[in-house]
Amino acid sequence: MSSNVSETSMDLSDKMNSMINSNQDGTHKTKSLWLDAFNNLKQDKAALFSLFIVILYSLVAILSALGIFSADWNKEVGPSYAAPSMDYWLGTDIFGRDVVAKVIHGTQIAMSVGLVSSMIAIPIGLTLGAVAGYFGGWIDEVIVWFYTTFSSIPYIMLLMSIAFILGKGLTSVYLALGLTSWVTLCRLIRSEVMKHKNRDYVQAATAIGGGHGRKLFKHIIPNVSHIIIINTSLQFQIAIKSEVILSYLGIGVQGQPSWGTMIDDAKLELARGVWWQLAGATMAMFFIVLAFNILGDALRDALDPKLKGK
Amino acid sequence: MSENILEVKNLSVEFHTPEGITRAVNDISFDIPKGKTVGLVGESGSGKSVTSFSIMKLIPSPPGKIAGGQILFEGQDLVQFSEEKMRKIRGNQISMIFQEPMTSLNPVFKAGDQIAEVLQIHKKMSQKVAMEKTLFLMDQVGIPKPSQKYHAYPHEMSGGQKQRIMIAMAMACEPKLLIADEPTTALDVTIQKQVLELMFDLQQKYNMSMLFITHDLSVIADIADDVAVMYRSNLVEFDTCKKIFSQPRHPYTKGLLACRPNLDKNPCRLLTVEDFIKDGVEIESPKVYDDKIEKNLDSEDTLLEIKNLKTYFPVKGGFWGRVIDNVKAVDDVSIKIKKGETLGLVGESGCGKTTLGRSILRLNPLKSGNILYKGEDITLYSKKEMRELRKKMQIIFQDPYSSLNPRMTIVDILREPMKIHNIGTNKNERVDRCKWLLEKVGLNQQALNRYPHEFSGGQRQRISIARALAIQPEFIICDESVSALDVSVQAQVLNLLLDLQDEFKLTYIFISHDLSVVNFISDNVGVMYSGKIVEYNTARNIYHNPQEEYTKTLLAAIPKGVPKDFLTV
Repeated sequence: MSSNVSETSMDLSDKMNSMINSNQDGTHKTKSLWLDAFNNLKQDKAALFSLFIVILYSLVAILSALGIFSADWNKEVGPSYAAPSMDYWLGTDIFGRDVVAKVIHGTQIAMSVGLVSSMIAIPIGLTLGAVAGYFGGWIDEVIVWFYTTFSSIPYIMLLMSIAFILGKGLTSVYLALGLTSWVTLCRLIRSEVMKHKNRDYVQAATAIGGGHGRKLFKHIIPNVSHIIIINTSLQFQIAIKSEVILSYLGIGVQGQPSWGTMIDDAKLELARGVWWQLAGATMAMFFIVLAFNILGDALRDALDPKLKGK
Repeated sequence: MSENILEVKNLSVEFHTPEGITRAVNDISFDIPKGKTVGLVGESGSGKSVTSFSIMKLIPSPPGKIAGGQILFEGQDLVQFSEEKMRKIRGNQISMIFQEPMTSLNPVFKAGDQIAEVLQIHKKMSQKVAMEKTLFLMDQVGIPKPSQKYHAYPHEMSGGQKQRIMIAMAMACEPKLLIADEPTTALDVTIQKQVLELMFDLQQKYNMSMLFITHDLSVIADIADDVAVMYRSNLVEFDTCKKIFSQPRHPYTKGLLACRPNLDKNPCRLLTVEDFIKDGVEIESPKVYDDKIEKNLDSEDTLLEIKNLKTYFPVKGGFWGRVIDNVKAVDDVSIKIKKGETLGLVGESGCGKTTLGRSILRLNPLKSGNILYKGEDITLYSKKEMRELRKKMQIIFQDPYSSLNPRMTIVDILREPMKIHNIGTNKNERVDRCKWLLEKVGLNQQALNRYPHEFSGGQRQRISIARALAIQPEFIICDESVSALDVSVQAQVLNLLLDLQDEFKLTYIFISHDLSVVNFISDNVGVMYSGKIVEYNTARNIYHNPQEEYTKTLLAAIPKGVPKDFLTV
């Protein structure tokens, strides 16, 4: 019985939506689904706050990259291991460098890893997923075989092999994370495209003489693109965490501060009661990862077309 | 004067949304006498479902809220009841049957266990007793071999059987009131007839009261004692069934009665609700003919000829996915369609009528056969030639919700076919044509920059029609194009299709499971059964002189649209 009830209320809210729309015909402003989704998102205070945090981190990262913030993170500003005070908000490290500047530089690294790895992963995942789902048959089988094989390689092994060729450093991290994180997106896009290609509106596009390209790019992909946004916001924080892990293991970022290297340093410092490097890096990481998680869930709720009159 | 089991007094329900407060039900009052059936009629969005959900107190809150009034069930006001108290009433004293049998049953549980569960919860029966009672109930609702079907999962049953299971579930605790929310809308006519008869029998047998919600007056003509008509959140008329049918007072009720195509009368167009709602205008009754007027079709002018068409869907099995069998969706069909003709294809779901339509447009791969369009065999056409031909042949789909791309504005949807076929040279010319098209299908120009989800079902279907017309086709397949619409909207769309046929000299294949609609719009009718056309004749002959047994069954199953007593008088 309980399943009936939830089914029913879904049904009803659908009906209500269509009713509200029909009642206001002619008077209300037109809304695209994207705008509609944003309005939904605005209702969710936690999501809005998360969005604010993400924007704040992005701004800090951009300003840092432009050299406005923390350009002189390498400068000695005080004594070694000064505790947090009004002068040094998060204290200093062994060389007397300001931990706040290091955290900010780490933010730049973290955000760039998230961004670049997504920019590598999205085109690969979207193209392969869409092609596999749309054409099916042997093309699908080849792509599925390819990504299952690929996803069975642990990214640490892949990173080590890339690091051997390109040398350790940020570029290897970008590539390794980008090349391993497209599989999830590819899977999701593939199954969604398979669902959409049999919808009547795609059939209608065939009936008016539309070719494969038009059907795929003009009709299907805009209808599955919300998946990219949802997936990216979740993948972003996975990339940030992965960078921290890799740098902690010493095969990630080299020669500049990142949250991972800071935590790595802190493991020796903790014994002497120096906790501020660890605190700075983990707090910074905690907030952005939490924000992306909340935002990802909220985006899913706001963008999922199942909750809209189909 | 019998006692009332349920009295609804001045009920108002509001929905609070960011855009403002919407009143879904506005100050309605009606009662359901003991042992009687009350029909609640209205179009979608009129508030009839909200009313029924309020009685069960299933309105999601927020945003919904019962703003005022009383719902007296055996004298007790349900509005004041706590959730816990309501739970004891739901499914026990008041039960509900939903429209969609496919989704109302839980797919991971056996059908029998789902009925037994209700008994275990409300009657505190032991598993064994509940099972015995379930078998008895399944027998009561006419499920063959209950002891076998008890262990069947929902996907192993047909739509009609699932609805029977739903009825058995609702009947399990012998409720005093049964609320049926469009229980037969999703079913084929023949199944609909059986389910209606079953519900009527059970209601008589257990002396139960029933609230039957539907958008189609003709369905309840036979079984309702009283009828309440809802229109735009208000209850506009509440009277005995006979009075509603013989002397409707409210213009909306009159419109509802008139807009349904009738098998005996042959109007040249249908009256719509709007005709009645307009104030002060004399209603012009369309001419009614004793016989269907037959168009003068030039017998030489064959537009489309289908020869021995077969469409099979392979069933793969075995380890290597070999083809082990074929589903013969279309099995050796041959028909001829003349220019300007409307061919109706009737049959129950799964008979292959939709596949036939799609095969003609080559949206499905064919197994064998020829399709001659103006004498040319299009099965031999290359992809490029086929694309050219698509300008001439169009299709309008059943589901107005899935046939328009939700991410495109109306102007983009209408412009797309023009772009593909190079109709119009620049943007302005095409937008002008879009405006013209919208005018033709009776929509406002303001629709251009909106998105499909902002329109009602009927409006969306008009947009689909406009899209099909955008490239000046000669031939259109209407695949159940009016089946998902309310009767009142159906009439408008049917009239529109007729007008357009007149104006643009179109040829239609009209696919539907609804015989009265097909009779109204078609010149010739083909009756399909398991992939074959079992009977083909003029519409008039099919209805007055059916030859095949199957056609006769179909015809007998159509709701007559008038109370039984009227027929005998």
